[in-house]
Amino acid sequence: MTTTKSQRLHKWLIGGPPLVYLVVFFAIPVLIMVLASFRNPGEFGGLAPLFAGGDGGGQLDLTTESYARFFSDFLYTELFLKSFAYAAITTAVCLVIAYPLAMLIARSPKKHRDLLVLLVILPFWSNFLIRVYAWMIILGSQSVFVTALNKVLGLFGFAPVSLLYTSFAVIVGLVYVHLPFMVLPLYANLEKHDPALLDAAQDLGANAWRRFWRVTFPLSLPGVYAGAALVFIPALGIFAIPDILGGTEGIMIGNVIKQQFLDARDWPFGSVLSMVLTVMAVGIAGLAAWVARGSRT
Amino acid sequence: MKKLLSLLLFASLPALAADELHLYNWNDYIAPDSVKSFEAQCKCKVVQDYYGDNEELLAKLAAGAKGYDVLVPTSNYVAGMAKAGWLQPLDKSKLPNFKNLMPAYLNTEFDPGNKYSVPYAMSITLIGYNDQKLKELDITVDSWAVIFDPKILQKIKGKVTVLDSQAEVMAAALKYLGYSVNDRDPAHWKQAKETILKAKPYWAAFMAQGYIKELSTGNIWVVHGYSNDIFQADTGSQEAKQKFRIRHALPKEGAVLALDAMVIAKTAPRPDLAYQFINFMLEGKNSAALTNITGSGNPNSEAMQFINPEIKSIKAVFPDAESAKRLEQLKDMNKKERQLLNRIWTEIKAK
Amino acid sequence: MNRRSRGLWAAAMFAYAFLYAPLVIVVAYSFNDSRLNAEWMGFTLSWYGKLFHNEKMLIAARNSLLIGLTASAVSTVFGTMAGYAMYRFRMRLLPLLVLAPIAIPEILMGVSLLIFFVLLNISLGMVSIILSHVAFCIGFVAIVVRSRLAGMDEGLTEAARDLGATPWQAFRLVTLPLIMPGVIAGALMAFTLSIDDFVITFFTAGVGSTTLPLQIYTMVKIAVTPEINAVSTLLMMLTLALILIASKLSPGSLRAE
Repeated sequence: MTTTKSQRLHKWLIGGPPLVYLVVFFAIPVLIMVLASFRNPGEFGGLAPLFAGGDGGGQLDLTTESYARFFSDFLYTELFLKSFAYAAITTAVCLVIAYPLAMLIARSPKKHRDLLVLLVILPFWSNFLIRVYAWMIILGSQSVFVTALNKVLGLFGFAPVSLLYTSFAVIVGLVYVHLPFMVLPLYANLEKHDPALLDAAQDLGANAWRRFWRVTFPLSLPGVYAGAALVFIPALGIFAIPDILGGTEGIMIGNVIKQQFLDARDWPFGSVLSMVLTVMAVGIAGLAAWVARGSRT
Repeated sequence: MKKLLSLLLFASLPALAADELHLYNWNDYIAPDSVKSFEAQCKCKVVQDYYGDNEELLAKLAAGAKGYDVLVPTSNYVAGMAKAGWLQPLDKSKLPNFKNLMPAYLNTEFDPGNKYSVPYAMSITLIGYNDQKLKELDITVDSWAVIFDPKILQKIKGKVTVLDSQAEVMAAALKYLGYSVNDRDPAHWKQAKETILKAKPYWAAFMAQGYIKELSTGNIWVVHGYSNDIFQADTGSQEAKQKFRIRHALPKEGAVLALDAMVIAKTAPRPDLAYQFINFMLEGKNSAALTNITGSGNPNSEAMQFINPEIKSIKAVFPDAESAKRLEQLKDMNKKERQLLNRIWTEIKAK
Repeated sequence: MNRRSRGLWAAAMFAYAFLYAPLVIVVAYSFNDSRLNAEWMGFTLSWYGKLFHNEKMLIAARNSLLIGLTASAVSTVFGTMAGYAMYRFRMRLLPLLVLAPIAIPEILMGVSLLIFFVLLNISLGMVSIILSHVAFCIGFVAIVVRSRLAGMDEGLTEAARDLGATPWQAFRLVTLPLIMPGVIAGALMAFTLSIDDFVITFFTAGVGSTTLPLQIYTMVKIAVTPEINAVSTLLMMLTLALILIASKLSPGSLRAE
């Protein structure tokens, strides 16, 4: 009896403070944002007072106008779909680049693996902006790479291309920034594969490609789903990459949200967009978790 | 660990010293020498923060930013800012240099009697261009068509930027179509939106400030920008010993005139320093220093004698009577109009 | 190596090159004696020199360090508590709240914290940034600590308890030293995350509280000069050093995220 009571006391003594902190600085702000999506925009920006008509005794000033505006205007749904597409393309490209890398690491001798994984992670730990800025340099019209490319294109009679300030640049940036997130779960999964399975398949006459497609890949699906979720969800909400690399193209929903809060001063509408993004993110995370659980035999 | 903490405390001490004036200003809109001589005079430190667009300034204030002393918004926003309770009324007795200002720029409809604001400098939103490149392409730059007409744009595709400001781009498009910049007719706005969308594929980017550097390095050839920024791009290109100059072009359809003003925030930590600073900037030679470095228009009569003659001859900076007639100041919008413009801007950016 | 291995190896090497080439380019151009990030004009350290005379940059660096140290200290304490609680006890809400900030797009946290601070009339500045950073750093520390605890031998703490130690003594004298490398690794990671954070800081920064990433962003938007390369190189070196130390202290902890 005493053990359980003191256990419970310990549980709240130790788990309590971080819980309280996160409730105050994470859960409550999110709830406030939910409420904000139902409020009216302030006359000069921000939010209108919660109680209209004087303090204390006024009416609760709530409205679904912002939501109505979102759903009635296809423009915003279109923007979400566009962002969805960008995130999906990013995820696919990341998968293609990450898979061979993860396989190589998984097949390397044990003593090398940690180092190889570390090498994958290190770029992730450098500043996000630096990683985006690097592509400004590489894709800029004055860069060594682009001038060389244009010379080659010129030889074949093609007009010079501009790589920076395009949707292409945005995708490259998105892929570059999120690649490590795809490699790690894939590797974690591939590492656990039993080589005996592949040997058995080979004995049964399967060639390399069939071995991969029929044995390795299906077994790696949980890793693929985890990696896809880890890339897709953050990519959906990015704004800095289109902002810096996109020029007039490639704008994503994150940019519009930022605009609502920092330029247009329409906070309720910005909150509506954020709520939709949250629902999407949670939905996809839930989907990934459900699929991963389902494929676990 | 303790040593580390005390070292930190020591390092942060200068930040805790109270003799600071917090200035929230447009980027590159003050002469560095003026800042230094003011600091020497007031024996204080000037801490500068920058914004690139009035909307950014208003958004920060709407988010409850405290701690700024002097702000430099464009005059048409002063009325709204005063109504929102973000400004404190000015005590003219503390500003003896107020008399230096030209009466033409005082007592505007945005701030009758200059209750809250004092004119600082002026800029015109117009077109800046690389004279060599445009001469090679045989394009005369005298109209907004350079920014909006696809026939001209295809010669300079990917070498044009416009401001990242919904108000400014809309105003330019309205002027191009022959309307007033303050036209609020939704049908006209729709027309303007179509015009912008037709031109957008030829633009490289929406740039609020980066275009200065892009112009002086020759990456970008035509910009929709502020006259003082374009002036600085020219200074930059000359410093870099480029073979081209950056010129201003005041479009024949007209343009937006921005009269920027100094105001004191209601929550200013050091209003006393704020008054000192404003009075300092109203002195003839300090106001002139701003114009000499940034090429901005000047509302101060005492400053005229100190301004470089070369700058005085630039029509875009000191427009003659004929050009002045085609300049308009932007008026602030109400909530509904802002929402509509907002939506149009989102569509412009998204397509 | 058979034919397929060679193809795999090539693809993997391409991936590594893709990961590192851009960073190498940034570092290389920081020594380039040219204002443009284009052709190589000669070696110079002048951009680093300019950096140290750049007042705004120094203030931003000072702010970043202050925020990083404070946020990392606070989140390490809370994160260790959370990691321990998640490991030892059955908690339902805590794991969710700890992991959610890491899983959702950052902009959502940034925006909701902005509204939160404004509504509570908390002035945006260093304090608001620190509070925000702690919120998302707790999760990382908790994960590292929890995985470290999972790898620890329970027998030792049990033995301590059998010998009469109170739970607190058992924790302080046995558990804590054992997980300390994990705790420190978590602290270093939290510091790095805080120094590097852009999105959340972007929304919660206020007057006079620019951080290095915000300053870099402003420079990228206004005038791209190799000073950006220089400060990026310095920042990268710092981060690299910290993460290498963290990985030595607690191998495998970095993979946990």
